[in-house]
Amino acid sequence: MAKEKSSEKKVTGEQKSVNIIDTTLRNGEQAAGVVFSKHEKIRIAKMLDEIGIPEIEIGTPTLGPLEREIIKEIVSSKPSAKLFTYCEAFPENIAFAVDCGVKDVIINISTSDLHIKVKYGKTRTWVLNQLRETTSEARRNNLNFIVSAEDATRTDLEFLLKVLSVAEKKGAARFRICDTVSRLDPFRTFLLLNTIINTTNFTIEVYNHNDFGMATANAMAAIRAGAKSLVTSVNGIGEGTGNAALEEIVMALKYLEDIDLGVNTAKFREISEYVAKASARAIPVWKAIIGTNVFAHESGIHADGVLKNPRNYEVFEPGEVGLTRQLVVGKHSGSHTIIHKFKEFGIDLTTNEANDILSMTRAMAIDLKRPLFEKELMYIYNEYLEKKKTKEEEEAEV
Amino acid sequence: MRGLDILTEFSMKAGEKLEPKNIKIDDTTLRDGEQTAGVVFANEEKIHIAKMLDRIGVHQIEAGIPTMGGDEKEAIKAISALNLNCSILGWNRAVVSDINDSVECGVDAAAVSISASDIHIEHKLRKSREWVLESVRTAVDYAKKFNLYVSVNAEDASRADMEFLLQFARTSKEVGADRLRYCDTLGILDPFETFMRVRTIIDIIGIDIEMHTHNDFGMAIANAIAGIKAGATYVNTTINGLGERAGNASFEELVMALKYLEGVDLGIDTHLFRDLSEYIATASGRFIPAWKPVVGANLFVYESEIRASTVMKEPKTFELFRPEDVGLERKIIIGKNSGVNTLIQKLKGLGFKIAQKEAEELSESIREKALAFKRALFDSEIVEAYNSYMKGKSNSVKVSSKSGRDK
Repeated sequence: MAKEKSSEKKVTGEQKSVNIIDTTLRNGEQAAGVVFSKHEKIRIAKMLDEIGIPEIEIGTPTLGPLEREIIKEIVSSKPSAKLFTYCEAFPENIAFAVDCGVKDVIINISTSDLHIKVKYGKTRTWVLNQLRETTSEARRNNLNFIVSAEDATRTDLEFLLKVLSVAEKKGAARFRICDTVSRLDPFRTFLLLNTIINTTNFTIEVYNHNDFGMATANAMAAIRAGAKSLVTSVNGIGEGTGNAALEEIVMALKYLEDIDLGVNTAKFREISEYVAKASARAIPVWKAIIGTNVFAHESGIHADGVLKNPRNYEVFEPGEVGLTRQLVVGKHSGSHTIIHKFKEFGIDLTTNEANDILSMTRAMAIDLKRPLFEKELMYIYNEYLEKKKTKEEEEAEV
Repeated sequence: MRGLDILTEFSMKAGEKLEPKNIKIDDTTLRDGEQTAGVVFANEEKIHIAKMLDRIGVHQIEAGIPTMGGDEKEAIKAISALNLNCSILGWNRAVVSDINDSVECGVDAAAVSISASDIHIEHKLRKSREWVLESVRTAVDYAKKFNLYVSVNAEDASRADMEFLLQFARTSKEVGADRLRYCDTLGILDPFETFMRVRTIIDIIGIDIEMHTHNDFGMAIANAIAGIKAGATYVNTTINGLGERAGNASFEELVMALKYLEGVDLGIDTHLFRDLSEYIATASGRFIPAWKPVVGANLFVYESEIRASTVMKEPKTFELFRPEDVGLERKIIIGKNSGVNTLIQKLKGLGFKIAQKEAEELSESIREKALAFKRALFDSEIVEAYNSYMKGKSNSVKVSSKSGRDK
C-alpha cells in the first residue's frame, strides 16, 4: 500500500469536488415516529434545492399509494436538484418508481452474510441475481440508478467487490457503501474506502450512521480516501441515531477540508428549524453548527476572549449559518462581560462596580439555577445603587 | 490536506491493539459541563453526580474551579471529603493563588491551565510565549510542593505552533507535571491530524497525554479516539457531551465506541448510562434527544418495515449492542413506514389475529392515520383501527349477502 511521496502534493493540488445527496425526506422520515405532511415534504425539497443541494432522495414508492401521491407532487414541483426514489432490489419495485415519474432510483440490497440470512433468508448467489434482475428492469425503463450495499461494512470484502462489479457492469451511476450499524471509525473507514477505490476505480458514495457519534468524522475520512459523494440529512435526522448531518458535513468540508461546495449556508438555521418543527424533534441548543448555544458565551475566560477577538473561540462568523453571537450573563461570567453588557445598556461601570455587581449576579444565578435575563441585570444594578446610596448616607451621618 | 500515503500510514498505525488498563477517564461534567452557557448545578446535585460517576467506574472527576470561591468551593470541598475511589481534580489557571484554593479544597489532583496558541497568547492573555512557559514553571512547581497530581492543560493546543507546543510539553515535564492535556478548544481537528500531533508529542517528549475534544464539527468522539490510538492515556469526557458551545466528548459514546469498535473494555458499568444521562439532563435543564447516540430513547425503537421485521428475527442485524446494556428497551411502533409483517406481529402481541390480505388493507388505513396525526400510533389506536376495520368488513359481508338475497 506504500506509495510514492509525490502523492501528497498531487492530492493537495487537486481541486476536489464532493457530491451531496440529501435523504431527509427518505431515511430522515424513516426515523421512528417521524411523519412529514405532503406540504412539508414539498417545502423541504424546495429549501434544499434553493440552498444548492444537488441531489435529493424524496421517498419510497413501494410504501403505498399515499406516499406515491406525495412523491408525484414533489416531482411536479420541478426543483433543479436531481430527485431520487428508493427501493429494495426486487424487479417488481421498479414499476412503482416509474409510476412516480422519477428518472433516478437507489436500488438497495443487503450484502452482509448476517443480513442475507436473516433479512432475506437467501444466499450470496441470490443477492447477485436479484441485483442483476432489478438493475436490468431499471435499464429497461430508462432509469438511472445507484446501487446501495446495505451493511456493507460487515460484508466480506471480496463479496462486496463482486456486488460492486455487478453494479458497475450493469451501468450503475455509482456504488453506495452503507455503514448501517456504525461499524467503522475514521481510520478503518479510510482503509476500507482506499482499498475499494484502489481496486475498482468506480465512483463511490458513503452512507454513515451516527451510533457512536462518528458519522461526520467517518464521512470526512471517506472523502480523504477518494469517495466522491456523501449522503446527509438535515439535523442528522434518520433511523436510530440518524445520519451525517447536512450542516456539519458542509461546514466540515469547508473549514477542515478546504472544499467549498458553494451551498448557501446562511439558510442553515432556517432549514434546521423547519425540519425540527416538521419532524417534531427539537434542535438541541448545543447541536454542532446550528445550535443556538454554539455562539453563546458565558464563562469569564471564554466571554472575555470573544470580546477581545471572536477568533479566540470561534472558527467562523455566526451569521454564516444564520445564527447570532450572544453573551450570556450567569454563574461563570467575569467582570469584563459585566462591563461589556452594561455598556450595551448605555451604562459605564468602573472595575470596582463591575466586581460588586458580578458577585451579586453569581449569587442570583446559583439561586435561580440559570443565567440572568437582561432585565434581572438591571434589577441588580438598581439594587446595587440603592445599597450604595444607603451606605453613603450612613457614612455621611457618622 | 495530507497525502494518501501518510493517511494510510496513520490508519495502519491506528489499527494497533490498545491496552485497556492504560486508558483512563477524567470526567469534567462538573467543570466544563457546568461552564456551558446557561447551565448551573446545585451543590447537592454536584455531590450526587460525583457519587454516581465514582460508582459507575470513572477514574478521575474534575470537580470544579476552586478559585471561583463561594458555593463552587464548598461543593469541591464536599466532594473531596466523600473519600471516593476515584481521584478528584480541581481546575486552575496557571496562577499560584488558584492552586492555594485547590489545596484548601482537599483535592488530590490539580489542572494547571494556560493557552498555548499564539492567537490566545496575543489576543486573550496579551503576553508572550516566554511568559506562558514561566507561568507553567511557577504554577507546576508550586502545586508539586503539595504533592498534587498535576495535569498541565494546553488550551487551544490545536491552533498552537507545534514547535512551541513541544517546548510547552517539555517545560511541563521538566518541572514535574504528570500529564499534558491536549485541548482542541475550538473543535477544529480531524482524526488524522489529531493522531499525528499526539503521536509527535509522545514520541518526542514522552509525557502522558490527555485528550480534551470539542464537538463543533461533530468530531469530538472520533478525535478523542484518534488521540487514544496515538497513545494518549486519559480522556476528558462529559455526560451527554455537555459543555461549551457544541459540547465535549460524550462519556457514554466514548466508552461504547471503545468497547464495541476498538475492543477496549474499560470496565465501566454501562447499565447505568441511561439513569446517569437522565439525571444530568434534569440537573442541567437540557433534554436528551431521542436520537442521542448510546442513550437516546428512540435508539431501539423500530418502525420501518424492513428494520422492524428483521430485528425481530435477529437483533444483531441492526444492533451492535443490546438495549439493556445501556439501560434502554427494544420496542416496535406502528407508523407511516410500518408494513404488513410488523403490523401482524404487533397485533399478535396485543392479542389479535389478522390474515395477510386483511393486514395489507388495514396497513394502508393506518398509514393514512399516521399521516393525518403526523406521528406513530398508540397501541390503543391500533386496536381501534383493527376493530373498526373488522367491523366494517363483517358489515360489508352482511350487506353483500343481503344484496345477494335481494337478487
